[in-house]
Amino acid sequence: MTEPTISADDFQRFREYFYRRSGIHFEPSKRYFVDKRLVERIRANGCTGFRDYFAMLRFQASGQEWQALVNEMTVNETYFMREDYQFECLVESILPELAARKRRGEPLRIWVMPSSSGEEAYTIAIFLLERWPELSDWDVEIVSSDIDTRILAQAQAGLYSQRAIQQLPASWLQKYFTREAGGWRICQMLRDAVAFTRVNLADPREVDAYRDYDVVFCRNLLIYFDDASRRQAAESFFDVLRPGGFICLGHSESMSRISSLFRIRKFPQAIVYQKPLEGL
Amino acid sequence: MPLMKHFAAPAADDTSLDEGPDAWLAQLAAPEAAARRAAAHALGDWPEAVPVLLCALDVETEQAVRSALLAALGRIGNEEAAAGLAACLRREDAWLRNAAIEVLRGLPGQVAAVIAHLLVDWDRDVRILAVGILDTLRHPSVETWLLQLIEADGDVNVCGAALDVLAEVATDDARAPVTRLLERFDGEPYIAFAGKLVLGRLARSA
Repeated sequence: MTEPTISADDFQRFREYFYRRSGIHFEPSKRYFVDKRLVERIRANGCTGFRDYFAMLRFQASGQEWQALVNEMTVNETYFMREDYQFECLVESILPELAARKRRGEPLRIWVMPSSSGEEAYTIAIFLLERWPELSDWDVEIVSSDIDTRILAQAQAGLYSQRAIQQLPASWLQKYFTREAGGWRICQMLRDAVAFTRVNLADPREVDAYRDYDVVFCRNLLIYFDDASRRQAAESFFDVLRPGGFICLGHSESMSRISSLFRIRKFPQAIVYQKPLEGL
Repeated sequence: MPLMKHFAAPAADDTSLDEGPDAWLAQLAAPEAAARRAAAHALGDWPEAVPVLLCALDVETEQAVRSALLAALGRIGNEEAAAGLAACLRREDAWLRNAAIEVLRGLPGQVAAVIAHLLVDWDRDVRILAVGILDTLRHPSVETWLLQLIEADGDVNVCGAALDVLAEVATDDARAPVTRLLERFDGEPYIAFAGKLVLGRLARSA
């Protein structure tokens, strides 16, 4: 079998389609990265070449190959401080705005979905402790949820590899982690501060248990959903949030492409989405 | 302690589900928008609710409730829902038209039953919107439908919209129909541009 090749036209055609469906844009400099993965998928599916594969990808009713391709084209990993400009945005812009209109004594509630192995929820907790002096005036609840109970157990155990913690400032690492044989263990205080729960975002009845949140972090999950599931997730997040609550998506994701329920808020640190204050 | 571990899931309430959709159907006319939105979401589990959901879509003014009604129709996703959503392409409301297209794009099997009529609709705006449904529709007949359209349609804007989609999905089967279209609309600059783009891509990938 000859090696499938991806022409300049094929690359152009593919990246236009991939952008429209996923919001992920590949610069021409990524050509090698894209070609290599496309060739892998062409081979894996036994297709004769790009045209054959593209037609299958484009029209397959199950969307199974689309899913497989997205997995290949995206960096499916999480680590402490990933896309930390959003945490900056949380402490510099979002929380001050929320605190300004909240009644004293009312908790601030943050939902992280998907939790994965907990890096994002713990990063938020650390950011609040280190970078938001007003924390002492508020009760903050952080709930971190995932469909996968094994990954939740891992999150609760709080043991991380060197790779996961390498972006953390040394002082934070020293303060909140201890070195163990298997890696770095996050301190008990932080493990006690985050509630880990199992939920299936695709099931609206399960999501009914999550209400009155002020901020939702849902980063790099919706790109894996098909259009209908994405819309359903947006509907669920709308009900999860209080009026005026915020949702933070991954850098390649855009709520405007999914639903018109939310408003775009441009803060100096990041663009996020907000449930309107008035109305429901 | 400012960071508090707290999560209290409310007790599950499946009463209405056990009793059927009647309670939710009644709630769809509630004065509170939040109640109507909850009812719309719940009715997404009941295919028999499609006519009522479509009627509600006609009269509902609250955006969040309309969004929930569309999500429910998409979740049910049967031919009746698709036909009702297709009828939304005639509505004056641009948000509703676009939202209906988005939902229909996720229902390839059901769209197949209504697309043939939409593509020959008397209203060219409806035909252009129907081409918009095909834009990301995952159905093996997308190219065939577009080729039938450009062979028969006399409107330059409809054919231009079809060529935009063909630029992505065209196979060798498109070569002759696109060539004939270029001849038919000789002197139309956009058709010339878009048609040559399609043929150029086909030639380079041959």
